[in-house]
Amino acid sequence: MPEELLDLKDLYLRCVRCGQCRSVCPVFEEVRNEMAAPRSKVFLAHMLANGEIKASKEAVSKLSLCLLCRACTRECPSAIPVHSLVMAARFLLARRVPSPVKKLVLRRIWTRPSLLALSVEIFRSCQKLRLFDIGISSRLLPPGFSLPGKLPDHVAQDLIPDVTPAAGKTKLRIGYFLGCSTNLFFPQIGQITSAVLSRLGCEVVLPKDLKCCGLPMLDNGEGDLVGTLMSANQDAFRRFGVDTVVTDCASCAAALKEHSTLKVLDFSGLLIDLVKSYGRDLKKIQKIVTYHDPCHLSRALGITDEPRELLRLTCSEFREMPGASGCCGGGGTFVLYNYNISMGILNKKMSSVKETGAEAVATYCPTCIMQLRHGITKNKMDIAAVHPIQLLYQSLCLN
Amino acid sequence: MNRLQLAAELKKILPAERVLTGDLERKVYSYDSSFMARFRNFIPDAVVLPLSTAEVSAVTRLASKSGIPVIPRGAGSGETCGCLAVSGGIVMDLSSWDTVEEVDVANMQVFVRPGVVHYKLNEHLAGYGLFFPPDPGSTRMCTIGGMVANNSSGLRAVKYGTTEQYVLGLEVVLPDGRVINTGGVNCRALKNVSGLNLTKLFVGSEGILGIITMIRLRVWPKPKARGIAMAVFDDLEKAPAAVLEVYRSGILPSGIEVLDSSAIKAVNMYNPEINLPDREAILIFEVDGNPAGVEWEGRKIAEVVGKLAVSVEWATDPKRMAELWRGRSVVAVAAARLRPDGSRIFAGEDISVPLSKVTETLRRIKELGKEYGVTVVNYGHIGDGNIHTAPVINLDRPEEVERANRLVDAIHKLAIKTGGSTTGEHGVGAVRNQYARDEHGEAVEIMKKIKQALDPGNIMNPGKLLPPEGGRGFA
Repeated sequence: MPEELLDLKDLYLRCVRCGQCRSVCPVFEEVRNEMAAPRSKVFLAHMLANGEIKASKEAVSKLSLCLLCRACTRECPSAIPVHSLVMAARFLLARRVPSPVKKLVLRRIWTRPSLLALSVEIFRSCQKLRLFDIGISSRLLPPGFSLPGKLPDHVAQDLIPDVTPAAGKTKLRIGYFLGCSTNLFFPQIGQITSAVLSRLGCEVVLPKDLKCCGLPMLDNGEGDLVGTLMSANQDAFRRFGVDTVVTDCASCAAALKEHSTLKVLDFSGLLIDLVKSYGRDLKKIQKIVTYHDPCHLSRALGITDEPRELLRLTCSEFREMPGASGCCGGGGTFVLYNYNISMGILNKKMSSVKETGAEAVATYCPTCIMQLRHGITKNKMDIAAVHPIQLLYQSLCLN
Repeated sequence: MNRLQLAAELKKILPAERVLTGDLERKVYSYDSSFMARFRNFIPDAVVLPLSTAEVSAVTRLASKSGIPVIPRGAGSGETCGCLAVSGGIVMDLSSWDTVEEVDVANMQVFVRPGVVHYKLNEHLAGYGLFFPPDPGSTRMCTIGGMVANNSSGLRAVKYGTTEQYVLGLEVVLPDGRVINTGGVNCRALKNVSGLNLTKLFVGSEGILGIITMIRLRVWPKPKARGIAMAVFDDLEKAPAAVLEVYRSGILPSGIEVLDSSAIKAVNMYNPEINLPDREAILIFEVDGNPAGVEWEGRKIAEVVGKLAVSVEWATDPKRMAELWRGRSVVAVAAARLRPDGSRIFAGEDISVPLSKVTETLRRIKELGKEYGVTVVNYGHIGDGNIHTAPVINLDRPEEVERANRLVDAIHKLAIKTGGSTTGEHGVGAVRNQYARDEHGEAVEIMKKIKQALDPGNIMNPGKLLPPEGGRGFA
């Protein structure tokens, strides 16, 4: 459950408005005025809670100027979890200044896998009719709608069985939390995840009735749904007698860790352990690879070393990019509301990627992959944005 | 001119996206880091974000013609309401104008625009083996423009002095829109004694005389080595004596910081892992220079201070240095932990007293805290007599806020009585200007005449630095 603003009084009162958060905020770096500074959101949250400013469309729009990347939360000398205050403020605003479209999408459709699948069907048909292109060029739709690219013909759920046995002796029985992004936009990554885990000795359990992890709802002020979604997911896994899970999506991992009772293993850490006990050598891919830290993995979960180690195991050369931990500007739905700012942030990320001379940029978050691919296309770069599991799949010679 | 007309006029000068007039957009410019700003609604009529001298000049001309106040602002990290529109007007946010125009290595100087952030400048200069020595605690966010306007300094002022020692020249937009250069029009010399020293006049003028649009800064070779010594005392009295002994042994450390027992307690409550010795005072010395010199100085400090201290530790290993420094680096924030419902406030936080009076002042502040029933934490730059007092109160209790205000007033008066100043580095703004006459006597009249000569319409950052007419101002 997101918290009520008034319950967070101790947090916003603690802010001395020193402005140190200005030094790390990617949105501020782009917008360059106080409205984008994280402390201004703490201030607005304070004012909203006090009733000193009204819940208004302007407040909604100003509070949308946050990627929830948690860079400020990390930096704050007063240890204020700024992202929690922003989420709580959005929760309040979503009730006072409701957006019917958001409510429909997040509450009615996204919570029901069958309706979500149907919407994706419709989305796909619209894409085929080029309706989105027309919508975007006539400015009826935000340009962020072009981000998913061409939707695949199938969702991952339809391609992966609910139980994939281990190839060989079963070392571990584990739940695979298939997130919406992988399921809808990158079914191949889902298939590969399940295949690799199976090859490395895991029996992989993927219940067919999984729901969203709730992160899009939390980000958009509808986080009261997260409890229901999570208990549905917990039940789904428990029906298979599973309570330890992994996911290929950093955002889902963070949401599961913070809001569910499931035990969530670090995906890259698990893969490294499994590879070590695999008994056969990996074939190194002759590729220079660099790594982008997803905010939800590096800052929410504090995982930064293992993903790099795995890339060193699978590729012939790993090169660190400058500012690897900087947000790519995707921020879940942020890119939909603030496309130009998002692109400014992305362009900086793409120049860092370029600077390394890498042939592939790997990252643990499907949404980041989507954003990076958008950056690659826009900047006409000759480089691939991949999930590390795809590289491991190759070095296990499974392709 | 009403707000709509003003917005329209400003948009003729700057692109619309750099003129902010929305309710919330203006409201987030109503604060800095000061205590006073929490209780006031200093909301500007408009905010502009200029990116050229011409834009600054045009806005200033418009303001001058219409009698509208102009308030320059950097990162808004100040503690004095110095960048706030206390009587409405146009806030000029200069923080996005952050180009380092030129690093003139041959002449050991750099030309920067006002919005350059302190640590970014030093990162940039490090590439040339150079640095800009003043080192405020707010290095991650404060701007060079703000530093110059407030003549700020910080941890290393003992050795390196304050910002003013590094400013060679300025480009300033005057209230009527004219642009002048101080320190010589095309001058790149390091020494220049011709003319009245207008550079010194504008440094620390807190935006009441004009707007700084370019800064010519002297830069220094970056020292190659650094070391930290931490000394623990069972008697507060011995701390300044130890500082004196270090000076007597011919050493000028780059920083000398003190934590008194209140600060030690706060740090340990904040993070028990830091585990500072629970004694009366801790001194932290920093020395920098060449490796051999640093080593000699560190050993000497350990020797002379060792005679007075319970223990002294000297380190040059970066990891250990960071550990020794950790207590000092978290104390400002740790203060709030002294009570569960407490918030640290920035008020009365920056007095400066003669070196010989530091101990006495620290004791007196403790007594005042008891007298007014306010928890206080003391730390600061003992090497130059600059004491940081952190009152910790519950902001939700108006009665406590009132007591804190009275305590702060007493601290400011104590500083003046002790032969010191109400502010060593943060400035006057709207929170200390009522003490101007007590601090400066008749000299205040000359300050007012200078202000009048340059800004007859009183549009430049009114209500700051100079005493409020006929009263206590906003406090």
